[in-house]
Amino acid sequence: MSTATQGDLAVDGTDAKVLLEVDDVVKHFPVRSGALIDRTHAKVRAVDGVSFSLKVGETLGLVGESGCGKSTLARLVTALHPVTSGHVRFRGQDITALNRRQMRPIRKSVQMVFQDPYGSLNPRRRVGSILSDPFSVHEKMSRAEVKRQVQELMARVGLSPEHYNRFPSEFSGGQRQRIGIARALALRPDLIVCDEPVSALDVSIQAQIINLLEDLQDEFMLTYVFIAHDLSVVRHVSDRIAVMYLGKLVETGPVEEIYSNSRHPYTASLLSAVPVADQAFRTARRERVILTGDVPSPVNPPSGCRFHPRCPKAQAICATQEPPLERKPGDPIGHLTACHFPVNPGEPLANASRDAAPAPAAVVGATEAVDQ
Amino acid sequence: MSLLRAAVELEVIEEQNPDAKGTEQAFEGRTPWRLAWGRLKKDRVAMVSLGFIVFLFLVAIFAPLLTALIGHGPNTQYTTSGLSLSGIPVAPGHNGFLLGTDDQGRDVLSRIIYGSRISLEVGVGATALALVLGLVMGIVSGYYGGWIDSILARFMDILLSFPILLFAIAIVARFGPSLDLLIFVIAMFSWPYIGRLVRGQVIALREREFVEAARALGSSDVRIMFIEIAPNLIALAVIYATLLIPINIVTEATLSFLGLGVLPPTASWGNMIAEAQTGDLFTVAWWFLVFPCVALVLTTLAFNLLGDGLRDALDPRHGRSNITPTKRVKRAARSARREKDDSGGKRA
Repeated sequence: MSTATQGDLAVDGTDAKVLLEVDDVVKHFPVRSGALIDRTHAKVRAVDGVSFSLKVGETLGLVGESGCGKSTLARLVTALHPVTSGHVRFRGQDITALNRRQMRPIRKSVQMVFQDPYGSLNPRRRVGSILSDPFSVHEKMSRAEVKRQVQELMARVGLSPEHYNRFPSEFSGGQRQRIGIARALALRPDLIVCDEPVSALDVSIQAQIINLLEDLQDEFMLTYVFIAHDLSVVRHVSDRIAVMYLGKLVETGPVEEIYSNSRHPYTASLLSAVPVADQAFRTARRERVILTGDVPSPVNPPSGCRFHPRCPKAQAICATQEPPLERKPGDPIGHLTACHFPVNPGEPLANASRDAAPAPAAVVGATEAVDQ
Repeated sequence: MSLLRAAVELEVIEEQNPDAKGTEQAFEGRTPWRLAWGRLKKDRVAMVSLGFIVFLFLVAIFAPLLTALIGHGPNTQYTTSGLSLSGIPVAPGHNGFLLGTDDQGRDVLSRIIYGSRISLEVGVGATALALVLGLVMGIVSGYYGGWIDSILARFMDILLSFPILLFAIAIVARFGPSLDLLIFVIAMFSWPYIGRLVRGQVIALREREFVEAARALGSSDVRIMFIEIAPNLIALAVIYATLLIPINIVTEATLSFLGLGVLPPTASWGNMIAEAQTGDLFTVAWWFLVFPCVALVLTTLAFNLLGDGLRDALDPRHGRSNITPTKRVKRAARSARREKDDSGGKRA
């Protein structure tokens, strides 16, 4: 749960308009069982109190391991799932309480690009028909006008407009993702939530798609929430980064700040896992921090700081008291960390001694330096 | 990071997508249906069955023309030329009766030709009705889930557990036999088979990302059900409709056999068989019992074999969309090799 105020959450330069505010959003999925009568006996805490805000034209990179709730958060922002509690405000309007009809104008301005370009396009419909959906749902247009718009759209994302009558199976992965982007772009939205838009693509195609997204952002003043687990991709596209762990934000801040001065041990270990091709770029800071153990189950998350069973710096307090997401001393405005013992610049995390810090339920041998 | 940089540089070279132009010809017409038709064409058994079914439809449509050519009406009793002096039916090939006559001196071939009309009308009509009902109920049930699904799914289970014959007897006893009633009764008891299959498919389909994408666009439930989901069910519907037609034809024959369907003297394969086996005349004149049976068996077999072929061709359980191009090429190579081995073996 964030105790930070809105002012802290936004980057400085406060004159830009806030487009999206996510305020202490919680999503719990019930775990049901029972043959005749459904009984809810547990819940998956997929997203458990997340707050952030986004300004017009900004890109927020959302990173974290698989299953940490990134995709669920994306579906809460786009109102595909109802929230359990909390608020999502778009242009100041709370969209969590809207009914279907009230949602329609919001649907036009908030769009989503999906991860799997094979699953997100209906295999039995022609591309022209898929891309005309936004127009037939929201606009009253003649058939010829829709076709013209669709072909314009296809050309804009780098597809041949003549391929209007093809089925999705006749396109490559990268081309399909272009179709997905075209569909999201059709109604000129303000916010596009990209849920791992490139993780299913080849590296060379990834770059094409990312460049396309960046071009479109400049052209249409788009705001992105960009979800990925590829940290180099996130660094390339984002203005700000939010790191998620088990349904909570553990650290957020401007992109270079996070990459050069990560304060949360989880962020540090995540960044140390980015492969560096050239050994000359390796710095002392980039010692490999290997986390042991798996991500704990979000059905029954650890007490206190959720990262403590895997944290090389964990101490007794971490197991009992949850650290607030706040600005740590010495950090610039906008850099927030949820940690009792933030990593100091230059601190060799890999060698952090655990002898003095016997955390309960800790995984032994959590750290290991891998370097020649 | 540096990987990405390298990729960005690469992009300049790869900007023109390599497969965009060169293989234009290969991509032409690769719709899911064309692909399925291509596979079906290679299935000889299915194609022969399809040919027989087309032939059967032509026979049914041109029945009056055919019987006029033969020169024997289906219900006319040829007491002089169709029966011997002792009242025995004429054997096949005699007196111009290609398949002989029945105990009342009627032309068996003409009756079979007219019977095919009833069989196809009931088989196709009842199946079409069942298909529409099954699709709508299955889609609604699977898409909404919850209490709507509970009620509809239970209703389908109840219908499936009903003894159709007893129910049909009761209905016919109340309303009197007629062809429309027959179609209605058969459809009422066959739609739950399709409904249940469709429901299962829809439950899987509604979790797919393209449904989520439609929802993100603000599409209505009706639009999602019938524009997004329904096209993905057509393959399944075609297959099970093809397999349901022969079942319904046999049900019609059964009901007519029991005197609950088509009433004499109108010819239906079911009541022809029923009439033939009432006496023991068929022990001497086997043809007027055997030929309607042969017609029924061949028709049922053809629909079943075509249905099997369609299932292989449309392959709904392993949707082609999941198969990567490399796998497809490998699979094609493997089957080509197998075919070559097979034909080689036959020659040797």
